[in-house]
Amino acid sequence: MIRMLLRVLGDEYARPMRRTVALMTVTAVLEGLLYALLVPVLRALFGSTPSDAWPWLIAFAVGVAVYAVLRYTSDLSGMRVGTTMLRGMYHGLGEHLARLPIGWYNAARVGEVSVMASRGLLAAMGVSAHLLGPFISACVTPLTIVAVITVFNWQLGLAALVAAPLVVLTQMWTARLMAVNDADNAARNNEASARVIEYLQAQPVLRAGGRSGERFSLLDDALQGVEQASRRQTMSVLPGAVGLTLIVQAVFTAVLVLGTYLALGGDIGAAEVLAILVLAARSADPLLSLSDIGGKLRTARAELDRLDRVLRTEPLPEAAQPVRPERFDLEFDGVTFRHGDRAVFDGVSLSVPQGQRLAVVGPSGSGKSTLLQLIARFYDVDAGAVRVGDVDVRQIDPAVLMSQIAIVFQDVYLFDGTIEENVRLGRPDASEAEVRAAATAARLDEVVERLPGGWSANVGEGGASLSGGERQRVSIARALLKDAPIVLLDEVTSALDPVNEAAVHDGIERLMAGRTVVMVAHRMRTVQRADRVVFIDDGKFVEQGSHDELLRRGGRYADFWSLSMVPGVSE
Amino acid sequence: MSATHSVEAGEQSTPSSGGTPTARQPVSTGPLLRPHAPSFAVVVVLQVIGAVAGLAPLFAVIEVGRALLSPGPIDSNRVWTAVILGAIGLFVRLVFTGASSGLGHILDGKVQLSLRRELARSLGQAPIGWLSRRRSGELAKVVGDDVAAVHPFIAHAPGELVSAFVVPLVSLVYLLTIDWRLTLITLIPVVLAIAHVPLLMTPARNRAQEDFDAAMGRIATSVVEFVQGIAVVKAFGGSERAHRKFLTAADDFVDIFTRWVRGVSAVAAGMQLALSPPFVLLVVLIGGTVRITSGDMAPVDLLPFLLLGLGLTAPVAALGHGFDDMQAAGRAVSRIREVLGVGTLPQSARPASPQDNRVELSDVRFSYDDDGPEVLRGIDLVLEPGTLTAVVGPSGSGKSTLVQLLPRFFDPTDGAVRLGGVDLRDVDTRELYRRVSFVLQDVRLLRASVADNIALAVPHATPEEVTRAAQLAHIHDRILALPRGYDTVIGEEVKLSGGEAQRIAIARALAADTPVLVLDEATAFADPQTDQAVRQTLATLRDRTVLVIAHRLETVADADLVVMLDEGRVVEQGRPNDLLAQDGRFAAFWRTQQSAVADDSEARGQVLQGDLSR
Repeated sequence: MIRMLLRVLGDEYARPMRRTVALMTVTAVLEGLLYALLVPVLRALFGSTPSDAWPWLIAFAVGVAVYAVLRYTSDLSGMRVGTTMLRGMYHGLGEHLARLPIGWYNAARVGEVSVMASRGLLAAMGVSAHLLGPFISACVTPLTIVAVITVFNWQLGLAALVAAPLVVLTQMWTARLMAVNDADNAARNNEASARVIEYLQAQPVLRAGGRSGERFSLLDDALQGVEQASRRQTMSVLPGAVGLTLIVQAVFTAVLVLGTYLALGGDIGAAEVLAILVLAARSADPLLSLSDIGGKLRTARAELDRLDRVLRTEPLPEAAQPVRPERFDLEFDGVTFRHGDRAVFDGVSLSVPQGQRLAVVGPSGSGKSTLLQLIARFYDVDAGAVRVGDVDVRQIDPAVLMSQIAIVFQDVYLFDGTIEENVRLGRPDASEAEVRAAATAARLDEVVERLPGGWSANVGEGGASLSGGERQRVSIARALLKDAPIVLLDEVTSALDPVNEAAVHDGIERLMAGRTVVMVAHRMRTVQRADRVVFIDDGKFVEQGSHDELLRRGGRYADFWSLSMVPGVSE
Repeated sequence: MSATHSVEAGEQSTPSSGGTPTARQPVSTGPLLRPHAPSFAVVVVLQVIGAVAGLAPLFAVIEVGRALLSPGPIDSNRVWTAVILGAIGLFVRLVFTGASSGLGHILDGKVQLSLRRELARSLGQAPIGWLSRRRSGELAKVVGDDVAAVHPFIAHAPGELVSAFVVPLVSLVYLLTIDWRLTLITLIPVVLAIAHVPLLMTPARNRAQEDFDAAMGRIATSVVEFVQGIAVVKAFGGSERAHRKFLTAADDFVDIFTRWVRGVSAVAAGMQLALSPPFVLLVVLIGGTVRITSGDMAPVDLLPFLLLGLGLTAPVAALGHGFDDMQAAGRAVSRIREVLGVGTLPQSARPASPQDNRVELSDVRFSYDDDGPEVLRGIDLVLEPGTLTAVVGPSGSGKSTLVQLLPRFFDPTDGAVRLGGVDLRDVDTRELYRRVSFVLQDVRLLRASVADNIALAVPHATPEEVTRAAQLAHIHDRILALPRGYDTVIGEEVKLSGGEAQRIAIARALAADTPVLVLDEATAFADPQTDQAVRQTLATLRDRTVLVIAHRLETVADADLVVMLDEGRVVEQGRPNDLLAQDGRFAAFWRTQQSAVADDSEARGQVLQGDLSR
């Protein structure tokens, strides 16, 4: 547990962590030793001259004072290490997330990462701030007490010591049982939360089918699954918790019986046996709290596990000696790329000379967007190579590669900020005039004029306050401002109505001028103006050539083309 | 910013008058818990019996002590009886607390299930407009995490809190009967600890708590931005910016947290110290020694204080211990109640049945916010059965809002939408959806088989009907190519493209076979096949009442009625040719569209020639 915590933290925080653990251990041992003074104090009090207790009591008071200082210091130290760690973990997570390949990010990641950044990190911190101290003291103090008992009476000490291995065994056993059910529980919970989101998003359709609440069995089954899993978990944890209690109580009873027997036989003084029984009672409570603390630690551990998994995901490797491409032609050389166990591309090749335009056409799901993503190195290929200016993209410094490529995505994501900030993202050091020029070229100026607040109008989270077409214009202005030699366009105009499409097209034309362009498109007008067309189906480059050549060939592309031109209604 | 856009984006603040739910006030969770009350009682009783029985061994030690320390011969029978009773007490405690804890957790699972079901029911009746303005992630968090956060409330609080008070109370009474002065001395640590509590509840502390929540919220927002914008971040080298924002939010949070902890931790540590066993023992021993040496108390009477005195601190410790959890649970409960309090779209007490399938909008006005701008400003429109009505207009003119009134995602702020002469508000929801189906831009498929997805609105559809709908929607062949055909589970066994999903949605609408169809032609992600599917669908539906947001000139040209919308008003309506002849707004709009797609027509000419030359 602590080892994983230290790994998640990194070496930097390991030392203060270790110091805190040491401090907590010393405090717990001291607590146990202090109780030893109970024996002489009671011996005096139960004896003929009770006032003999005073020197021992003064010693006890001094001990408590030292204990107080240690305890206070270790409590504060635990919290301080916790908060320092928290900062360290946030920075570590942030740096790591920025380096992870884009391929790692998918729809489910938003939830996962945000849970991690809130609950996960706090749980990890809580281990040090709230759980570690009680856990150490619950383990160490009873052990010290047992040692103390042994010093006074070895039989009773031995009887108490029996508890130690049994407690450790039940704890391990419970942990194993829980781990099995934890996974099941987490899976059920994920399933249920996915079903809830689906249920919410599909409300209009579901209502049309008259299905709501319990009548929507997909959701209700998932909710019941959660309940059953939690019931199973309860049932699986219960034996452990009851077992622990049973062991502690049985050992206490044994000590009680044995102590009574020894005292009755006169083998041990009344004061000693009573002091020992008080001590035994004293060590039972912390042991019983172990099952509670253990449960919390295991929950925190699950969070740490998830954090650890993310932190151990490898970012794309960076070249030791990066090469800077001098030209901007593109080449796919025998590229194989798998997504999961499905081969998206299997040994495909193509090339785009510098300054030319390649249109990528094909049915949906054929791998068109993936092709663009491989050029921008959102993923690495499994075999073969993608080259820019004859240099493998893996040999190029990622920052340099990105500076050579402008991408316009189908779904535009804008940052919550002003329009100007979002455009400026393309080139932060651009002058005012350059930003304005890019905006005019993308016909964004029309949009800006209409908006209350103009240039400083806020676009909302993800650009929510702009329409799809308006967002697209922002992203084109951004790409224009970036002025990169390679341009990648992903179905830029498919989601637009004709008016916006016309506006966006003007911008796109300016963006493409004189650059190497790869575009995924289905509007045939765009395709027609490309120098070359590649028709993709099922990850294969079925046909390549100019638009006219492919039409004349009368193959798949020609079919596709004629289909898209059929005026449907009049049929 | 036009209102249509904001709806499309799905985010706006308060519920509107149009979609205002009947104000069910924040619902209490009480009635939901009432059926479980007897079980709660059992949990508490078992726990209390167990906890009190747990005192038995301590009493046994005390008895043994009394016997051992009493002058004269030891009554060994009395000693063994005490020991046996103590052992029995322990056993009772084991059985009862175990049973209580198990029952409590099972009860917890049941309560959570019924809360979730109730939430699902409530969400399933909330106005669509209300739902569209909430992030589904947030609502899912209420159904998932927030309900789970109630756990300590249900599984732990009743038993543990009650026993945390009952046990010390029993001990206290017992100790008072032995020596009330030493009892008071024993309470000194408790008083010291309680004296710390006000320090934890200062206004500054509360403010710190609010800052803490706010800072946590900023982290969540910056994470969402970080993750969702990661592609842009990487592509535009903006990683600095987003990264910095995240780190700033994180640093901010840690600063606030540190300040909060620093304020709390000294106090908390002090409190812990006052309650720590060595300190309590020290106080008891000093007090006891004073009483014993002065001869006011028998030495053996110190024993109960040593054994039970520590237990007196339990309630304070329990309060401190469970406080955070309970506060979190309280916040979660208030979010749950908010969702349960969302009313349904008003349902008519006496639903009427529409006479036919004529749709009539009369003086319909609509705004998303009570004081917000009107998106629709007095729309009068009649959709005759068997006609195709095409709505056109610039973006932001209110088209999307208009079509969403037909399936009653919203109610108009003013005026009425009538189906077969009956106000939609008086039509039973089931009846409404038997008559109106829709294919809107935002296609949602369920993680269920293809067949189930198509038959969603008609659960008892035959396989033949499903297949026919799929054929009409041009998706049948694609489905057959899937691993398990119509039984393939979407989202698990296959991920469909946007266009394919849209064709499934079209098939779904066709399977529903309703007399009224609402269609948004803005075919996002569309590919040629989907385009064709949409057009063919329109062609086969000539006997229906069809309302379509048209983007293709072919659709517009084929419509029986064209409605030109601008800024929430109908600026022109009539037959397409008549409107062109008028040379008004529509004609101008038509020309800009035509120039926008001029190249497509060019291209078509070419391909036709190509066909001929072959």
